[in-house]
Amino acid sequence: MSSLDPVQIGIVWERLNGLMDQVAETCVRTSFSAVVRENYDFAIGLLDARGRQLAQSRRSVPSFIGTMSRTLDAMLRRIPKERLQPGDVLITNDSWLGTGHLNDITMIHPLFRGERLVGFVGSIFHTVDIGGAPSPNARDCFEEGLTIPVAKIVEAGVENALLVDLLEANLREPAETLGDIRAQFAAYRSCSERLARLLDDEGLDDLEAFADDVLDRSEASLRRAIEAIPDGTYEDTLTADGFEHPLTIRCRVTIDGSDLAVDYAGTAAQIARPVNSPMTFTQAYSCYAIKCALDPGTPINDGAFRPIRVSAPEGSLVNPRRPAPVWGRHLSGHYLPPALYGALSRVVPDKVIADCGSPLWNVYFKGRQPGGGRPFVKMFFMNGGHGARPNQDGPGCLSFPSNVSNQPIEQFENQVPLLVTEKALVPDTGGAGRFRGGNAQRLSFRSVADQPVSITIRHERVDHPPRGLLGGEPGAGGLDLVNGERIPAKTQAALEPGDVVTFQTPGGGGMGPPAARAPEAVERDLRSGLVTAAYARRFHGLGG
Amino acid sequence: MDSGVEAVSSSLRIGVDIGGTFTDVVLLDPATGRLANEKVLTTPDDPERGVLDGVGRILTGNGVTADAVRTVIHGTTLVANALIERKGVRTALVTTRGFRDVLEIGRELRYSIYDLFIDMPTPLVSRALRFEVDERLAADGSVLQRPDPEAIRALAAELRQAEVQAVAVVFLHAFRNDAHERLVKDVLLAELPGVTVCTSFEVMPQIGEYERSSTAVANAFVQPIFERYVGRLVAGMADRGLPEDLYLMLADGGTVHHATAVRYPIRLVQSGPAGGAQAASVFGRLAGERDVLCFDMGGTTAKACLINDGEPVRADQFEVARVWRFAKGSGLPLQVPVIDMIEIGAGGGSIARVDALGLIQVGPESASSKPGPACYGLGGVEPTVTDADLVLGYLDAASFLGGDMVLDKAAAEAAIGRRLAEPLGLSVVDAARGIHETVNESMAQAATIHALESGRKVQDFALLAIGGAGPVHACNLAKRMGVRRVICPIGAGVASAFGFLAAPTSFEFVRAAMAPLADVDLGEVDAMVRELEGEGLALLATAGVAPETATTSTSALIRYVGQGYEVDVPVPRAVLEGAATDRIGELFAERYQALFGRTEAMAAEIISWRVVVAGPKPALEPVARLEEGSSLRGTRQVHFAEAGGFVETPVHDRYRLRAGHRVDGPAVLEERESTIIVPPGAQATADAHGNLIIDLQL
Repeated sequence: MSSLDPVQIGIVWERLNGLMDQVAETCVRTSFSAVVRENYDFAIGLLDARGRQLAQSRRSVPSFIGTMSRTLDAMLRRIPKERLQPGDVLITNDSWLGTGHLNDITMIHPLFRGERLVGFVGSIFHTVDIGGAPSPNARDCFEEGLTIPVAKIVEAGVENALLVDLLEANLREPAETLGDIRAQFAAYRSCSERLARLLDDEGLDDLEAFADDVLDRSEASLRRAIEAIPDGTYEDTLTADGFEHPLTIRCRVTIDGSDLAVDYAGTAAQIARPVNSPMTFTQAYSCYAIKCALDPGTPINDGAFRPIRVSAPEGSLVNPRRPAPVWGRHLSGHYLPPALYGALSRVVPDKVIADCGSPLWNVYFKGRQPGGGRPFVKMFFMNGGHGARPNQDGPGCLSFPSNVSNQPIEQFENQVPLLVTEKALVPDTGGAGRFRGGNAQRLSFRSVADQPVSITIRHERVDHPPRGLLGGEPGAGGLDLVNGERIPAKTQAALEPGDVVTFQTPGGGGMGPPAARAPEAVERDLRSGLVTAAYARRFHGLGG
Repeated sequence: MDSGVEAVSSSLRIGVDIGGTFTDVVLLDPATGRLANEKVLTTPDDPERGVLDGVGRILTGNGVTADAVRTVIHGTTLVANALIERKGVRTALVTTRGFRDVLEIGRELRYSIYDLFIDMPTPLVSRALRFEVDERLAADGSVLQRPDPEAIRALAAELRQAEVQAVAVVFLHAFRNDAHERLVKDVLLAELPGVTVCTSFEVMPQIGEYERSSTAVANAFVQPIFERYVGRLVAGMADRGLPEDLYLMLADGGTVHHATAVRYPIRLVQSGPAGGAQAASVFGRLAGERDVLCFDMGGTTAKACLINDGEPVRADQFEVARVWRFAKGSGLPLQVPVIDMIEIGAGGGSIARVDALGLIQVGPESASSKPGPACYGLGGVEPTVTDADLVLGYLDAASFLGGDMVLDKAAAEAAIGRRLAEPLGLSVVDAARGIHETVNESMAQAATIHALESGRKVQDFALLAIGGAGPVHACNLAKRMGVRRVICPIGAGVASAFGFLAAPTSFEFVRAAMAPLADVDLGEVDAMVRELEGEGLALLATAGVAPETATTSTSALIRYVGQGYEVDVPVPRAVLEGAATDRIGELFAERYQALFGRTEAMAAEIISWRVVVAGPKPALEPVARLEEGSSLRGTRQVHFAEAGGFVETPVHDRYRLRAGHRVDGPAVLEERESTIIVPPGAQATADAHGNLIIDLQL
């Protein structure tokens, strides 16, 4: 196997990545849930016989990055390899073993060649219904739904009847969730066949030698990037709005040669609100942020994580103990990339971005269709301004660190009795700087229902706006209004017919001192109206 | 193929395709099936000059006069280029109060998830030229607030002040009711003589305010330029005694009369590649293949599309002017009927380099045609796919482009040696093999997934290779995908222009009609289809299509309630007339099953109707003009992985391969614009139309 030359390594690599995309495509096409099909809230991964993640489907959400090998590791501690046989499928959605909340189900299928285990194919997919009574007010993880412990949902090709019954008995839409679970089985079969053919074509007995080589290459690539950073410890602290009181997120990055350690000691303790980020989610977003900044051009696999160590005190917001509620884990997890970038900006300011207008904003509308019609529940996403970059402005309203698109207003109004009266960029909301943060957007909804419509929001960055970096100004904080009056950012409220609720997302932070901004850039912003004369005068001394 | 159209009749057909470098002209005598072609340089500053020059030359060269020409069909990159280079006219957007930033906000999605430095496409209309009007429709199309004509007149004054040459009018929910857009358009036209005004309803009445705005704006942005161009071309044709009617190739594979085309220039956005797809369906049919993967590999990119049961697979969205590595989401979305095509950054000029992992990466950066591959000797120092193909013996230094350009093999070896072989510790030949195989593998992966997205397996298709680099890579690519048969048509270098001649005159209409499937009033739908059919037949009549020869096909865009995208379900006329709603449900289920391998126990809803009115497909039975004499030109050293290295390989002149002639691989078959590489174990057979059918050993 040492005879693999770089050409063959490259071809096998390309084929394995393509294989993941093909399996993902098959799976997406047969899956039941709209979340999988339309939002790609879904990933397929290939691991070698030692459980090292080799490849992952390219289109997936950042929160699934790199979690699969950790989940497999936990599964194998429970069910050792010797007890695996062809046709098995392992399952869990444990928030502490998977991706951080119950709605993501991870399943892993061992791949055999004859008698010999040659690897694993796994999938993670988001399911809307996981039972329980999930609410933004959940006080513990039990309210959030059903935990499926590590188990074989299929053993030697036969479904585990007890587990299936248990799921059926505990879900509201068992047909949908079980349909999605079973859709993965067909995908595993096709993966198994295609992988066997690939190994035959390439004259390989197994994946090990290839894995050793390609994981080493990925590791070396990230190590080179880390080595270029001066040794030392770099820190940053930011404050999240939180619930009853603000929450501190503290991040310490230590560079030691080609190793990078991230520690969140000093971060607030976990709270009894569904915003805690289990360690798996903390790890995923930390590694994601580092990869984006230091080595964005190489693919994701276990090798790319070897130089990184992430730690956080147990019982903290970013490493909670059971039974902390974790459903909205992004409300703390999305703060980790900006904390890391704040720390790294002290040594590699050219590789990081200023704070974005995230954690992601959303709103739940709940009510009845007019004329005594059916009840509806509708979630609507709104992105804030993107942080400024070291060489260019931040785009207005772009999703980071998650990647969730908006829904067209024409579709939304077709589904619920709400009329959107504006979706507009808001002037002066991007943080000033040599490079300006992205503008925020404002959305207003007028209720055209004939009964009250309830809204539930959990918005961050209202009291503590996205920060600027390297002398850049912060973006504007977010704003929530009903009929022009401010409402709390974390609330449930009723809209009477005719009431108007307005959400203004946070603007992105600026980068570099505003005085250093090119006058032409200020002129351009004035012409477009993205900044007003008052802003240009205040931050850039321009614009009469 | 270019040895002349002898039997002159007065019904000659001409196809003209303007490409980046060359303008291709094809002349067909339908009476005899004889074809001739001509290539002239594209004249970017006034493209009609190249067209008229090429047409003139092909007529003179074949000894025919202009009055023998019955039809001229034309496709051009002008529209796409104007969008890519942002060289349209000064355009304004007029939209619903509160929504002028929709065009800039887009869908809020990052198209590349690890890139912090992502650039979003700049809107075609700057924020200062986006205006808002007090008006509103509800989601069902009913009127909440009517626009005030007085306010529109005031707006017209502002637009005049802003010196705009075109205006796109896009109101929320106007895809269901165009009353407000029409009212505003009428006022603006009256107030602003000479200014182009396009409404989103007329350009494409589909749901989705961002995509519809983007489409209407793009149409307005290029319309005046396109109309002027067509005007000049039509006048030039008349001066030369050519027909007064010009037909233009649309991106969905149909053609329309120039009077229609100038209203919807955006529908021409991919006309050249659409011609290629039409050509592929003809060549496939001649070779007895109904399912064909058309693979077009040129200088900077490779494109692929599927011909499914003889018809190119269509899509209703296209993205133009992608700003990053051809990535989906990095361009301007257009809601236009197109042939569903993937494009990846892998062409002859694609640059190979060592990536951060120490592996070979090919593309998407391209050496283009200037400086071009290292072997062009025009100053290029980066190794490209063409350089690798030369080193491996697939191309011949002396006979490239029919001998018009002599390639520098030493320069190719030096570039590959310096940039790849040395850093990777490989021989130059192994590094060249690495480039060739890597680029083929990435195309194989992309095409395999593209087929899966249509609910098909790529193994079930025959691969048809066109473009300068297509036939060089086709067999290796096919083997990687598990495809058994490769077709190399004669005249691959002018396939697009040839495809124009194969396209029927047709026009597609879309009408929104959102309703649960169970509640659809098919009587109403039938009436709407009849109305659109009438409109379509009138359009076709201007193109000389007799109504009795035209066909109307109707399809419904249906989804399960709550889903975000629709399935295109063809609905036979009898079903509409028979008001058989249940039957539509069944048709939807069948189609869904074919695409997704399952159906759902959920209610379905119809989003819109699509009506295509088409004239007959021109019958095309091209006859190859072959040359006399032995095909064997000699031998050369060619590298085949199957043979473990270089093999002394016979080289044939493909224009001398007569029907039934079989050549066993390994072999090289040279043609003017490309070279066909037949690997060991494969058999190439010439058919009666001059196509080569290569059967591979997998």
